[in-house]
Amino acid sequence: MRLACLFVPLFPLAARLRSEPELKGEAVVIFEGNGNAARVVTASRKARRVGIEAGMTLPQTRALLPKLAARGRDRECERAAQEALLEVAESFSPRVEDGREGVVYLDLEGLPGLVFSAGGRCATGAENFLNQGKAQTLVPNSQFPILNSSRSAALRLGRDLILAAEKAGLPARAGIAAAKLAARVAAGLPESPTVVPPGGEAAFLAPLPLGKLAPALEISEALERWGLKSIGELAKLPEGEVASRLGEMGRELHATARGIDPRPLEPRTAPLNFSEGLELEWPLVTLEPFLFVGHAALERLMQRLESQALACTRLEVALKLDPDGHDTRAIALPAPSRDIKTLLTLVRLELEARPPGAPVVGFVFTAHPDRPRSVELSLFGPAALSPDRLATTIARLASILGADRIGSPRTAEGHRPERFTLTDYSPPPPPRFAAARRTGRGLLAVRVLRPPVGLEVIVENGTVSSAAKSPRPLSLKSLNGDSPSISGTVRVASGPWSLEEGWWLSAPPSCSGRSVRSLREVTERRSLALRERESSEGSGERSSPHPDEPRAGALADPEQAEATATCDRDYWDVELSDGALYRIYRERRSGAWFADGVYD
Amino acid sequence: MRASQALALERFLQGEEFAKKPGALLKSVGAKLVRASDLPAQRHAFGETASDRLLENLIEQLPAQTLIEVVGRRSSGRFSIGLAAMASSTAVGENAAWVDLGDNLDPEAAAKAGVDLARVLWVRPRRVPEALAAAEMLLATGFRLVVADLGLAFRGGRFIPDAAWVRLQRAARDRESTLLLLAPCRLSGIAADVVVSAHAAHPIWRGNGRAPRLLTGMASRLTLEKSGRETPGRSAPLSFNVIEAVSS
Repeated sequence: MRLACLFVPLFPLAARLRSEPELKGEAVVIFEGNGNAARVVTASRKARRVGIEAGMTLPQTRALLPKLAARGRDRECERAAQEALLEVAESFSPRVEDGREGVVYLDLEGLPGLVFSAGGRCATGAENFLNQGKAQTLVPNSQFPILNSSRSAALRLGRDLILAAEKAGLPARAGIAAAKLAARVAAGLPESPTVVPPGGEAAFLAPLPLGKLAPALEISEALERWGLKSIGELAKLPEGEVASRLGEMGRELHATARGIDPRPLEPRTAPLNFSEGLELEWPLVTLEPFLFVGHAALERLMQRLESQALACTRLEVALKLDPDGHDTRAIALPAPSRDIKTLLTLVRLELEARPPGAPVVGFVFTAHPDRPRSVELSLFGPAALSPDRLATTIARLASILGADRIGSPRTAEGHRPERFTLTDYSPPPPPRFAAARRTGRGLLAVRVLRPPVGLEVIVENGTVSSAAKSPRPLSLKSLNGDSPSISGTVRVASGPWSLEEGWWLSAPPSCSGRSVRSLREVTERRSLALRERESSEGSGERSSPHPDEPRAGALADPEQAEATATCDRDYWDVELSDGALYRIYRERRSGAWFADGVYD
Repeated sequence: MRASQALALERFLQGEEFAKKPGALLKSVGAKLVRASDLPAQRHAFGETASDRLLENLIEQLPAQTLIEVVGRRSSGRFSIGLAAMASSTAVGENAAWVDLGDNLDPEAAAKAGVDLARVLWVRPRRVPEALAAAEMLLATGFRLVVADLGLAFRGGRFIPDAAWVRLQRAARDRESTLLLLAPCRLSGIAADVVVSAHAAHPIWRGNGRAPRLLTGMASRLTLEKSGRETPGRSAPLSFNVIEAVSS
């Protein structure tokens, strides 16, 4: 079994620098605790140069270096960094163990080019795979028989691991060995990567100081009294004697010193969501600074999603408020996206719409991942839209206009002309071959006025908005405040065309035989009337354009029927003196007139 | 008397003198009804007549144009022109977007006009800047046709800088797309490749005097105001039919 260990030294500092990369190269300390009890956990190289070390208090560090950047230990930040390190490891191996605090183990078993034989020899296939990697003497004890090519492969893998971790913003070291402890110790060495040959773990550990085994304090003191300095000296002692004096813990330590690490790799289950967060140094009360720091977090989050070939379909924003309190909100995206600008706009709109109500001292962005949309492009057909770009555009438009203002239009059940539904825009794939371009049917379309424009109408019998049955309009004028403005004398009026819908919602059961006049029925009647007119024009006779022929019917679905609002209208097509052509209707119950469309 | 009842009566009278001529009952007793099957088909394919050639050419040249502006007052037919262009684009499998500033689109009417609704992205901005920004984003996304309908009562047009139209034109050109601008007045200035005005529109009614009338269509006139390929000023009549007058 071959294992690799990725280790990030000074992990709390590295995690913080990953979140605040502008601090790189500065004198930074990470402290834990409050007030005078705050102690330095880790310090950057620049700070260590002036004598700052772990355990010092903040006033002590300030005395040494007044211009010191001090940051509190941020568990959320470290958690995100650890997740990022695990994801780096998962891009190399499917079996990854979370070793906590900047330590990750990878199972290298089965990786091409790393097939070691039990005797420390490379398998034949590995030799062909391995490239011309420059051999490095990074193994402290090079007396073990391992082929250069195999070592090169391991070294190359270690370098790739380190590069990938650096790309994720974490300075890591790598060690490759057959046991977890040996790999961990190898990863801790300053020269990285370090490869321990198979079967050579004991020899590798032997010259290292005993502190590398991290023994318990009491055992460490006992070993010091025995005069032991290195791991190899401990390994040379008889196991039974060590166990009789130091107990079970001593026996385990002795086995470890001999390179025996019985702990198996415990693969982790990858989490369903991705999170990035930060605890702020001071409370933020305005939106712009929050978006500034949030942008960096989103950038890291999207990088992690991209490394897994995923996109964000739902973004959760958890805010930590000052002094106590939390505020969580979720933003659903119309389509999976990794566009940071879009996500940031959505966050901005969400926070502007519902401010948190208290200063923000920390935040966590959680992305619910989904596979980005993909489509097979056609070579000869019309150009298809890039799914990723389309998703981004839809998300941006939804963030600007509102999610209910964008989508794919669909016809709705029912007969009211103003009805429509919107669905998510997911166009079908383009045809394989482009068809010849052709024009439409040349139909006169109606601009629907949403909402309908209220009208003041003078009707034929001389009254204004008379409640008489189907009065013919003579002149129109839109009510004050309604837009667009409509005004003029009616030159030609055609109607009325009755539209009655939803009467069953308020009518007693005895009315079940009542007629339902739908717009479709109106259409049929108009067609019939038109044909009648054509046939009668030759003989000079006219017939009624709206014969009163009731048709029984009702919606089959009672739920749909309940959802349908009642309407009882008489529609007219009117041509005004200015040449505009409107579709107006009169509510029978109230007698009010409205314009709901313009023929255009 | 309903047509079906008249036909049933006609069948009942088989062998009588009425039955010697099919449809004789309907014509002779003054029922003022005809059978639907006896009516001549009135399907009117767009572009069938010479009067539609200008618009047809315009739509055929959509892929070669970048910014086309159709100008016209209310009931001039510009909305129908937009739908015809949309139907033409979606019929060949292209994806199209409709930026609807006035929230005027009727999906049912669009479907009847031949628009493949599944390929249409409907964007309903509330303000002019939003509409222009949406149009630019959609062009950059790769929609081959973006129809920007600026509504009936366009306000704020004078505050749109000319650079915005140039920017839109370039966005369309870069992606080899077409932006069809439907506006009540000239807006795009020098940026438009083609400007067509629709005017002299009048509805077509069936019936005279105070008798009940039926709207069967609308006639308009298209004039080429600007074009990089042709001499401006060419004019042609244009007609649209009401759906009920086309088929049932």
